[in-house]
This record gives sequence, C-alpha cells and structure tokens, in this order.
Amino acid sequence: MTLPIKIQDHTFIMHPSGVLFWEEKSMLIISDVHLGKVSHFRKFGAAVPQKAVLKNFELMNEAIAFFYPKTICFLGDLFHSSVNKEWELFEKWVAQTSSELILVEGNHDIISPLKYEKLGVQVVPEIESNGFLFTHHPEERKGYFNFSGHIHPAVRLRGAGRQTLRLPCFFKSSNQMIVPAFGEFTGNHTLKPSKKNEVFAVTKESVFQVDLG
Amino acid sequence: MTRDQLYDIAASWFQSQDWEPFPFQKQTWKAFLQGKHGLLNAPTGSGKTYALWFPIVLNYIKKNPEYKKKHKKGLKAIWITPLRALSHEIKQSAEQVATDLGTQMTVAIRSGDTSTKERARQKKQMPDLLITTPESLQLLLATKGYDKIFKNCSAIVVDEWHELLGTKRGVQMELGLSRLRTISKNLRIWGISATIGNLEQARQVLLGPSSQALEKSIMIKANLKKKITVKSIIPKEMETFPWRGHLGIRLLEDVVPIINASKTTLLFTNTRSQCEIWFQKILEKHPEYAGEIAMHHGSINKETRVWVENAIRNESLKAVVCTSSLDLGVDFAPVETVVQIGGPKGIARFLQRAGRSGHRPGKESVIYFLPTHAIELVEASALQQAVKQRAVEDRMPYLNSYDVLLQYLTTLAISDGFYPEEIYQEIKQTFCYQAVSEDQWQWLLNFLVMGSQSLQSYDEYKKVEVEEDGKFKVNNRGVAMRHRFQIGTIVGDANLTVRYQKGGYIGTIEEYFISKLKAGDVFTFAGRNLEFLRIKEMQVHVRNSSKKTNKVPAWGGGRMTLSAQMSKLLREELYTVSLDKKDQSKEIKSLLPMFNQQRFESIVPRPDEFLIETFKTRDGYHHLFYPFEGRFVHEAMGSLLGYRISLLSPITFSLAFNDYGFELLSDKEIDIQQVIDNNLFSTEFMLDDLQKSLNSTEMARRKFRDIAVISGMVFTGYPDKGVKMKHLQSSSQLLFNVFRDYENDNLLYQQAFTETFEHQLEEGRLRISLERIATQEIVWKSCSKPTPFSFPLITDRMSREKLSSEKLADRIKRMAAILTKK
Repeated sequence: MTLPIKIQDHTFIMHPSGVLFWEEKSMLIISDVHLGKVSHFRKFGAAVPQKAVLKNFELMNEAIAFFYPKTICFLGDLFHSSVNKEWELFEKWVAQTSSELILVEGNHDIISPLKYEKLGVQVVPEIESNGFLFTHHPEERKGYFNFSGHIHPAVRLRGAGRQTLRLPCFFKSSNQMIVPAFGEFTGNHTLKPSKKNEVFAVTKESVFQVDLG
Repeated sequence: MTRDQLYDIAASWFQSQDWEPFPFQKQTWKAFLQGKHGLLNAPTGSGKTYALWFPIVLNYIKKNPEYKKKHKKGLKAIWITPLRALSHEIKQSAEQVATDLGTQMTVAIRSGDTSTKERARQKKQMPDLLITTPESLQLLLATKGYDKIFKNCSAIVVDEWHELLGTKRGVQMELGLSRLRTISKNLRIWGISATIGNLEQARQVLLGPSSQALEKSIMIKANLKKKITVKSIIPKEMETFPWRGHLGIRLLEDVVPIINASKTTLLFTNTRSQCEIWFQKILEKHPEYAGEIAMHHGSINKETRVWVENAIRNESLKAVVCTSSLDLGVDFAPVETVVQIGGPKGIARFLQRAGRSGHRPGKESVIYFLPTHAIELVEASALQQAVKQRAVEDRMPYLNSYDVLLQYLTTLAISDGFYPEEIYQEIKQTFCYQAVSEDQWQWLLNFLVMGSQSLQSYDEYKKVEVEEDGKFKVNNRGVAMRHRFQIGTIVGDANLTVRYQKGGYIGTIEEYFISKLKAGDVFTFAGRNLEFLRIKEMQVHVRNSSKKTNKVPAWGGGRMTLSAQMSKLLREELYTVSLDKKDQSKEIKSLLPMFNQQRFESIVPRPDEFLIETFKTRDGYHHLFYPFEGRFVHEAMGSLLGYRISLLSPITFSLAFNDYGFELLSDKEIDIQQVIDNNLFSTEFMLDDLQKSLNSTEMARRKFRDIAVISGMVFTGYPDKGVKMKHLQSSSQLLFNVFRDYENDNLLYQQAFTETFEHQLEEGRLRISLERIATQEIVWKSCSKPTPFSFPLITDRMSREKLSSEKLADRIKRMAAILTKK
C-alpha cells in the first residue's frame, strides 16, 4: 500500500520498498542502494550469503513494474565500493531497463562517471527542477525543497506496555525530505523527530504516517 | 638420576624455605614424573604452582644430568593462565625455583601486553617456560613453522581451568591441545581447577573424552578444608529499606566499621559501574580514607591495576573496591576481610571471593554480605546454607562451536596450512567436536574455501585456498593480517581508549556509552570526574573536571544468573517464612516488615504453591509469575508462556526477568484463568513451542553477534591502531537478517539457536521447573497495586525482551514516535 503526499502542489508517492515516485515528472527516486556491498564483503573473506546480491535488482524491478517511470534518479551511494563482479549484473540490469537513468553522486560513489556514462547512465552532482533540489547529502538552499538520502533514516515508536518499534522512514521537515535507504544489506540510523516534522514509517506491506504524540 | 634423588632435590628446597610439601604436591610430582596427565583440584594460594612447576624442572634435570653446567635451550613447558594479571606472580615463583635449584632455565611471558620486540626475541629463542593466555597460544599456532617451536615441549599446564571450561576460550584451549598432542610427542597435559560440581567432566574436556591421555591420567584433590564465616549486614531500619535497587550505597556506613577493624578489606561489586560509584561515595562521605582506598576493575589501565595489587601486598591500603578482576589468583596475604555487595549469583564465585581473605593456611575466611535490596536478604540466607553444605555448581562445556572451529582452521591455514584428514582426526578427539559428522566437516571446509556450499557465478569470495596436494592454505596477506587481529573468543562492544588530552592513558570504555555524550559532558571513570572533549582516532580525549555528575559508564556483559543449586536453596529459605520463628534465619526474621506488606494483598508462597500476581499501573497490565528458578530459566519460561498466550489472541508483550520471577507486561489484560484452564505450563510440545518463541524474541540474535565475530564474518577493525576499516563493517544484526532471509540452513546461523537453547535457556532445568509447577497449586492474586515481590521486576527498564503475535500495522496505530527533547 502506497501513500501519496503533496509537496508544493506536486504529488509524490511513497512506496513500501522505500522508493519515492514524482508523479508529474514520472520520476522514480531511489536512494542508497549500496550495490556491490555483499560482494565486497565476500571478496574480503566475510561470507555474507551471496543470494542477497540479486535481491536489490528484484526489488528495483518490482518498483519499476509498479510505477513505469520515465526516469529513475538514484540519490547517491548506488555502489558501495570500487568495481566488482556485481557491476556486470548492474550492466545487464541497465540494458534491460527502459527508463532514463540518472545518478546524483554520493560519498560511496567512487566508480568513475565514465563507466556509468558508457552505459548511458548520467552522473550529476545534483538536480534542480521545479523548485526541487535533489542531492545525496541533506542540504538547505533558499527557495528550494530538498530531497536527499545518505542518512538511512529510521524512527523509534513507543506505545503502552513499554512497547517499542524501530522502522525505516521517510523523514520530512518544512523544506526537506530524507528518503530511506533502499539496499537490502544496509543499516539505518534512528532520528528523533520534533513536532514540526512529518514521519512516514515503512513496513514490508505499507507506508504509515507516524503519530507524533 | 632416580626418582627418589629427584624428590630429594625438591624436598630440600622446601626445607630451605621452612615449608613442608603438602601431600597433593608430592602426589602430583610423582604422577608427572611417571608420565601421567591429570587434573589437580586445588584452590588459589595453596601452592599449586609448585605442585606442577617442580616436576617440570625435575624432569629436565633427569634428562640433563649436566644441567648445572650445560643449558639445553628450547621450550619445555607452557603455562596457560586465563588472566594476564596472574602471569607475573607465576613467573616470579617459577624463576625462583629454577634459580635456587641451580638450573639455567628461563621463564618468559607472552600475552597481549608483550612488546613486539620481545615477541620477536622469543620467536628466535623460546624460553624454557612460556607463560601465556589461550589467545596468545592460538597466535603462536598462526606463525610459520610453529611445529618446531613445540617439538620438544614436555608439558602444558592449564591453570584456573574451571574459569575456561564453559566458555569459548575453553573450546579454543581444547583445539590448541588437540594440535599440540600431535606435534609435541612427549607432552603431558595438566589442568588446575578450583572445586566445581563436574570435576570429572572437567578432566574429560581437558584431555579428550576417548583419548589415550585420559586413560593415562589422574585426578588429584588437595582437600584443604577452610573455615568460612558468612555474616549478613542487616539494615537497621527494614521499614525504609528499598524493595529494589542494585547499588547498596544506603548501607555504606555499615561498611565503615568493617573496614576500620581489618588490615585490608576487599569490597566485591558485581559491575564496573557499581565499583566506580562505591569508590566515589566512600571518598565523598569519608575523605579521611583518601590515599588508603583504591579501585580495581578490568577497564582501568594495567599500571594502575598492578600498583593496586602491589599496594595490597605491601599492606598500604585499607580497602579496595573491585570487581571479578580480583577473583582469581594473586595471593593477597594481608586481606583479612571480604565484603560482597549484592548477590554473587553463584556459590563457587562466592566461596572463591570469601577465600581471598584469611589466605594463610589454617586461617578463617570472613565474608560479609551486603544486600542492595530487601529480597536479596533471602539470598544471603541461602548463601549461608550453601557455604554450610559446600554446594557448588557445574560449568557446562560447549558442544559443536562451529564459530571457534572456523577461526581455528583459518589460524592453521595462515601459518603452515593444514590437511583436512589429519585435523579432522584431531578435532574428533576433543570434547567439543566429538560428534561432528563428516557432512558437517565438509560443510565447514566448503564454507572456508567458497563462502558457501557450491561455486556461484559473479562471486569473488576469497579466504582459504586448496593447493594442488590438498593442503588448505591462506595465501592472501590481507586475509592473514585481518585474521590475526581477530583471534580470540571474547566479544565485547568496540572499546575506546580514554586518554588525557596530553596523552596519559586512563583506561578503556565501551563505544556505546561515549556515543551518548556531548563535548563538555562530565562522567565518572576510574574514580575521577572527567570532561569529555572529543573522540579522535578511536581515542576518547578528556580532562579532569571538578563538576559533579551522575553519569557512570555501564559496561556490558556480566549478566549473571542463579545456579540450579542456589535457586533451590533460595526457595527453601523463602519457604521458611511460613515456619515458626525459631526455624528462621536472622535474615528472614529481619524481613518481616516486607513479608507483611507482601501478604497485605498477596501471599508469600509455601512449597506447594505457585504465585501469580496481576495489577494495572500507568505502564499497562502487569502479569507476574514467581518460579524462583534463576534468571535463565525465567527467560525461557517467560518466552514460552508469552508465546503460548499469544496464540490465544493477538497480543504484544514486554518481558522482564530476574532471579525470582518474570513479568509479562502488555497494553491488554490477560485472563489468567484462561492460562490455567488451557494448561499453558504444560511440558507437552515444550521444545517445539520454545523454538518458535525464540524466533519472536531477540535472544538468538544476541548470541549470533558473538558467533559472527568469532567466525570472522564481522570485522571489528584494528582498535589499537586506530583503523576503523569502515567499509568492511556491518552490524551483526544486519547479517542475522540476511542469513534468516537467504541462508537459514547455515550452520553458524543454526548455532545461534542451539546455543540459546543449551546455554541461555537451560532447557533441562526448564522442564524440571515446569514439572514442579504441575504439582503445585496455582494461586492467582489480583492486586490493586505493586507488591514488594513485583517491584524489582516492574521497574526494570534496561533488559527487556519483546514478543508479539500482532500485525505490525495494528501495533503502529497504537504507538507514537519518540520525540527529540529540544
């Protein structure tokens, strides 16, 4: 179950997989996939299950099949490390994908932009469009609403009977939204919202607006 | 030289010291010289070092009659000690004997504290006796050509074996021994252990259950009886003594006369933070002790610890506040009195601590027990009984620890490499791996080489390679280097070094605590108030502060539980509450005000009663159960019962446990009558239900943390070098999820569950407890407010478990985000 939200008269749809869809532009926003992380660990002798490698691609395909986006914008940290064999899988995936692909560079993206451009993936430091600013690191710029990744945001919920829950989330303030990390093998970082924020928690099935008490 | 001539050498040395060898020492000499292996059961400070070091020297003399003139170099014996702190004491004694007997034998220590230069020197020329730790022994097995080092080694002595048994360090030791047995042809294996319940098993684990060594071995018991007196400190005003708490500071003034009356007093606390607080408070209330009291725990730097240990020996301290860091070894003759603050949880530990006082043969040991909350006085009373009966608990050895085995195999692969057939035969001889099947063995080998069970496309897994002749070998320098840093089985939070800005080293602290501090915050550590400045390269920079603070770092680990024996004694003591006054201990009598309060709305259960209490507070609906079986059994029973209740209707619990009982807290009320009618305490399907309940709690996940680190799947970085290797760090939590989703038949993932079963939940004890409850009458009291028994449980905020059978969506609707305080 998705959840739509209006930002500056544009419609953005939040999806349980942690992606965000900009309806007016038909643009799918995916952040912090960290491809290649599993392989990187394995290369260094840590036997993380290799089957996890394919999951990222499967999940991306599911999201694409759901929205049919014209453009896919990766908000940074697409690859976790330098090139390893997962790059070949990525090449194959790109060849099968009909959407236009753009990467907004993140701190983990150390693979040469030339390699991306060879595949037809555009690499940019940021995107400005319709008063929206897309960056990897959260940024405040006058006159813009900022979408970013990098933080891997999560929120902790509390209920009666000393119950607590921690869930990844979309974290929104008046001029900014931080998108959750998409990658299967990535952690997250708990943020404490204030009453001014809007927080949308993500479970496997749904996106919920969180009660801020 | 004949054996009698050799004994004469030893006997005359004893004479020159004005000592008489104990029978157990002579027995050990004889058995050793006959070529036997064995286990020596002797307490600290009984002369156990001489029992085994003498025959090692005598054996050397026998083989080298020219020993006074000619020194035959090379390693002759290894002495394993679990604590680095003990090695200096052993070195001194051993050197003294070697010199006095006119040999030129050398003694050296090799541990984490040994400098690189000294290590290199040792590698070139090994001492005759090497004193080391289980971890450092493994590191030796990780050096090229290690078989030459050990070739002529005639003995290995594993000191304080009871401390290693029942831990993964013990498993590591079993593996080390299995290798040494092959490469050192004339090796004698000896263990030294304090008294534990399963001494016979301890010998089996040390020597291998079906080994020739076990056949050719002996058990020697020192049988030194010591009088131990336990005195409880009973609060003068029981009416106002708290029902919960763990510090015990309220009784500080009662400790002062005890300190004043003794030459030196050791105050044992259960945690390092408690230790810090007590030290601070004593000085605050009694500044006259300044310079006469000190503190000792594992996070304080080595120099300070050694200084404190020496000061105790020189009788220059009145009191030392300490933790289990002073449990072992080190003979402190001047200690006259010991105070135990809070429940020691185990009898063996309590006896060992008591034994720190009155250390000279024939002297009486005196230990005071200081309760930190009311119910602990019942424990005090049970301890009195335990000491009378000399009841001691077992140390349960591990089985099938795949994580330690994988680490060990990698260790062998980075030095000289190994041939699987040879090593398989060796590990099958150990206790831990006696039941490992060929399939499991093959699984482990595949895991080392391929990181999975079959070759996969797009995979670049790299660790161990199989060479043409079938040798398993690590040829990648990076893999080898990372592995050397990871050797060991003690897993903790990442530790940071605490230093003054100008460089003075103060100690180590867990990253978790520091991560909650801001620059300018003041905290108490190593007895000082320190201002936190910054973290730089894995170092915490601080400066002294005069500000007061209540921030004291909490250290993980050290969660203890009552043993089965102790739980039984505890219940028996509790049952005396309903007896005539003359049949009660003075601790129980003193608790009368609390018991009266308890009886106001509830009961104090009799032997044939099982008590359940329910009440509602602001936090929700509390349901309390009191089996009095020790924390681990309660964790199991709580999870089991919680799971079974959650099958009746969707519900979410927060669970709390202590040594007396457990709590199921929920935002919904449970109908206890339904619990009773449905016979939810049944032992039927117990294992199955327990397994399922495990999936819904966090216990296995926590076990997996250690397994992931020990097996080398989680890399912890090089903390000492200040290198974090961030790109290779992942949380074991994350890894656990990936295994659950993609590879849940992985042996390491499975091990997390088996370990939880065998070592955390004590399945066997759970069954017995449930059977006992089946014979009892269930008494359900619906109360209007919390009772004294419930208090410590409902106020526990720290160590709770969760269990839920509700849909996530339904739960989220009833919850709200935790907001920032700004």
